[in-house]
Amino acid sequence: MPTMEVDGQMVSWEGKKTILQACNDANVPIPHYCYHAGLSIVASCRICLVEMESPDPKDPAKMVKLPKLTPSCQTPAVDRMKVTSKSPKAVANQKAVMEFLLINHPLDCPVCDQAGECYLQDYSFNYGRAESRFEEDKIKNPKKDIGLHVLLYSDRCILCTRCVRFTREISGSGELAVFGRGAREEIDVFPGKTVDNPLSANVIDICPVGALLDKDFLFSQRVWFLKSAASISPISSGGENIFIHHNHGRIYRIKPRFNADVNKWWISDEARYTWQFVHENRLHACHRMQYGSFVETSWERAYAQTTEDLQKAVRDNGPGSTAAVLSPFASTEEMFLHAKFARSIDPQAWLAVTPPRIDGQDQVFKNPATGAVTFTIRAEKAPNRRGAEKITAHFGGNACALEELAEKIKNKKVMAVLASADPLPGMDKPVLAAIGAAPTLIALTSRHTGLYEKAGLSMPTCTWAEKAGVYENCDGRIQAFQQAIDPLENCRSDGRIFWDLLAHEGTHSAAAVRHEMAAAGLADYANVAIPQVEKPLEVMEFSAL
Amino acid sequence: MAFPGPILLKRIPAEPGGRHLHRYDDYVATGGYESLKKALAMPPADIVKLVVDSGLRGRGGAGFPCGSKWTFLPKDIHPRYLAVNFDESEPGTFKDRYLIDYDPHILLEGIAIAAYANSITTSYIYIRGEYHREAQILEEALAEAYSHGIFGQKHAGTEFTHNCYVHRGAGAYICGEETGLLESLEGKRGWPRIKPPFPAIAGAFAKPTIINNVETLACVVPIVEHGAAWFKAMGTPSSSGPKLFGISGHVNAPGVYEEELGIKMSTLIEKYGGGVKGKFKAAIPGGISMGILATNQYDAELDFDIGKKYGVLGLGTAGVIVMNDQTSLPRILRNIVRFFSHESCGQCTPCREGTSWMHKILNRIVAGRGKPHDLDMLLELSQTMGAMPGTTICGLADGANWAVKTFLQKFPDDFKAVVKSPLVAGVSVPMAVTVSGAAAAPAGV
Repeated sequence: MPTMEVDGQMVSWEGKKTILQACNDANVPIPHYCYHAGLSIVASCRICLVEMESPDPKDPAKMVKLPKLTPSCQTPAVDRMKVTSKSPKAVANQKAVMEFLLINHPLDCPVCDQAGECYLQDYSFNYGRAESRFEEDKIKNPKKDIGLHVLLYSDRCILCTRCVRFTREISGSGELAVFGRGAREEIDVFPGKTVDNPLSANVIDICPVGALLDKDFLFSQRVWFLKSAASISPISSGGENIFIHHNHGRIYRIKPRFNADVNKWWISDEARYTWQFVHENRLHACHRMQYGSFVETSWERAYAQTTEDLQKAVRDNGPGSTAAVLSPFASTEEMFLHAKFARSIDPQAWLAVTPPRIDGQDQVFKNPATGAVTFTIRAEKAPNRRGAEKITAHFGGNACALEELAEKIKNKKVMAVLASADPLPGMDKPVLAAIGAAPTLIALTSRHTGLYEKAGLSMPTCTWAEKAGVYENCDGRIQAFQQAIDPLENCRSDGRIFWDLLAHEGTHSAAAVRHEMAAAGLADYANVAIPQVEKPLEVMEFSAL
Repeated sequence: MAFPGPILLKRIPAEPGGRHLHRYDDYVATGGYESLKKALAMPPADIVKLVVDSGLRGRGGAGFPCGSKWTFLPKDIHPRYLAVNFDESEPGTFKDRYLIDYDPHILLEGIAIAAYANSITTSYIYIRGEYHREAQILEEALAEAYSHGIFGQKHAGTEFTHNCYVHRGAGAYICGEETGLLESLEGKRGWPRIKPPFPAIAGAFAKPTIINNVETLACVVPIVEHGAAWFKAMGTPSSSGPKLFGISGHVNAPGVYEEELGIKMSTLIEKYGGGVKGKFKAAIPGGISMGILATNQYDAELDFDIGKKYGVLGLGTAGVIVMNDQTSLPRILRNIVRFFSHESCGQCTPCREGTSWMHKILNRIVAGRGKPHDLDMLLELSQTMGAMPGTTICGLADGANWAVKTFLQKFPDDFKAVVKSPLVAGVSVPMAVTVSGAAAAPAGV
């Protein structure tokens, strides 16, 4: 494996890499603004310049030192190279670039959303100088509303052009461009256009400073208060990897989490902004129908009634008269317990899966220059259909589609249904139409939905943010997600409910269920990698200043 | 060998007026397109060797050997392109315009020879947007050349066919930088490219491309006609051949004159420029990006070695701007830096912000609000940016830097005189701080 020395540390890499790429992979810090691993290299911010010595191609024993600074983002790493980003020349350049970037930058960190996760702040601290020597008038560029989700504060912009390259190379829509020239230059949209592609908000993430801001998150929280949980987007079957940023039991935003095989550095706007349902219209108590109206009831009574109602249906109508409706929004562990519980009461219980909503066709994004596929938004709008199918297949026996189940309910073959509801608003209409007429309907639902209205008994459950588990995406990739916030008041996850109903010992946890699944023959779940939370920002040692 | 008289300008009378545009017939009648005929009878490799042997160096500013540029083309990648750099935007430079105004066919012949020598089937003449008259002249000359079979069809006895197009820029200095030119040619924003790959490997439309200046290609014509030895006999060992010099500023007869390289600036000014109006104070050797020659460097030899000998960046485009002793150098410098600040493409941070910062400081100095430490700040800024220290992609910032650096080093007193102490408002106090590096400036020869 080729190896080079960077600031006294040995860095190894495989394949063709530039110096900066090899250093990034090895966690050796070299400052950079315009470089982004997912975008083309422009080498224009000039803060990543290093001094380097490399072996002479004619006489490999001899080292040749380049007389001038070299952009590390652009220069290929070569075996036995010696790179320094801490030589007086390199440090002088870092200080100079920081000073240049800040001369027209407003000093509005106290009211800037980016503060706390801003490269200008971090690099000012690590590489900059303490005071400004700029005595002239600053150039004051305007603030602009440039899209559905995106605000542009062009006075804060450092013109790294990451956003421009994103719209050209990833979303392929090319709405953004650099206008003007020299110090008067600005990022802007073309006249009459807005940044409204389905991946638009990614430009906010890749902006290293506070120039592109999220309207949804604007002024809502200082980022240093936010906690991060590694999760999987529940919005589509792509299984986009995300971070949920939350504080005090409330979600504030969703950010993409890098996964080279799934979503790379990006997520769709849909995955980013569909989380309000976690905090809206939630149920906080078990309800049962009594003399035509809903009354609140305790978890103990709800559990008892669930078992009693199902047992009664089996007693009265024989085996095969109950059904379990699995939601493709539940984690695979929850579905396993759900099916297990249904079969423990009625060995011939029917298993059905709510079909996910299909939204047109998959949206495929390509780089217009190369034709390479850069991102796909899946048309199937549920995270875990494949998991549900796997569980249904695992248990075997009576299984049917939701329409068939509706038929059976109509013909009085199935008398009691235990259904887990989809959490997204407006998604429960087909389920409701199919099973709403069941004489005994027990619903596990997080929201005031149609299913809740029809159910004789309903229990308040958790959304994906309040629990851990695994989803299986459309490509059969099993991905675990962490719990971000505590279950809202009095809510319990489907998994916890079935754990209790099955009278399992110990405390419920997704890992324990996976262990049980593996023991039951679902070998895929024996060792699921648990994602880690974001690394905290690295603070360089003081000696490096 | 003494300079035999005009070579590139041989068809243009000393006082051309407006009526001496050489059309195809005039050009052919005075021996035009003979070099092309001669070249087409030679193997292409021999022409490249001839140009290498002639020692012809690029006339666009950097002075890169033209022949070796041609040999960089990879052997087996086609198509290849020739981009002719006619984006003559450097203030003080107007030699190419003069040549094309009166004798456009010399360029077209040079293009045809270069294309034949390098197996190029398509060439583009990138002309600056403001040169609308020259664009029209070139279009007309091109139409004539097409109708006489110079372009567009196979030449008798060869497989060589070539197409040539005029591409007008939109008025940006940076599009004269060779990779900025290519970007603009491709219809993109004129931002210089990062290298490698160099244009010879992946230039216009990602294909091997040669970029030559108008005058360089015009020089190819007499080289083919008279041979390499004849060309090399003119000028100095490292700077051979004739050169178009544009003289402007405080001289009695500004204009474009042809002389051999290595001529003393004093000779050029006195023999051709009609002498200095008033007393000589300073001169810019070749376009404002090259820095300034001091009063005692009046006799500087104008060749490609001028940079090392006289503490300037280089010969540049040989557009000499002469200044007499009534000139305010801080104002000149402010104007120069204003130009670079305005023309900075804005890609690299140091140039985008640094040139604008220097401009603002100089504005303040010229307005009488300068402070002694401003000069140190200017010197520091001029040393932190540019392609030479490696902090920018292209050399635009170097142009601004060398102007600032050489003005401050060679004429420190002019600047100290206008920088007032901020503590004593309205009173001019000599600067207390030293301008670092001032002592290192060459004292002249």
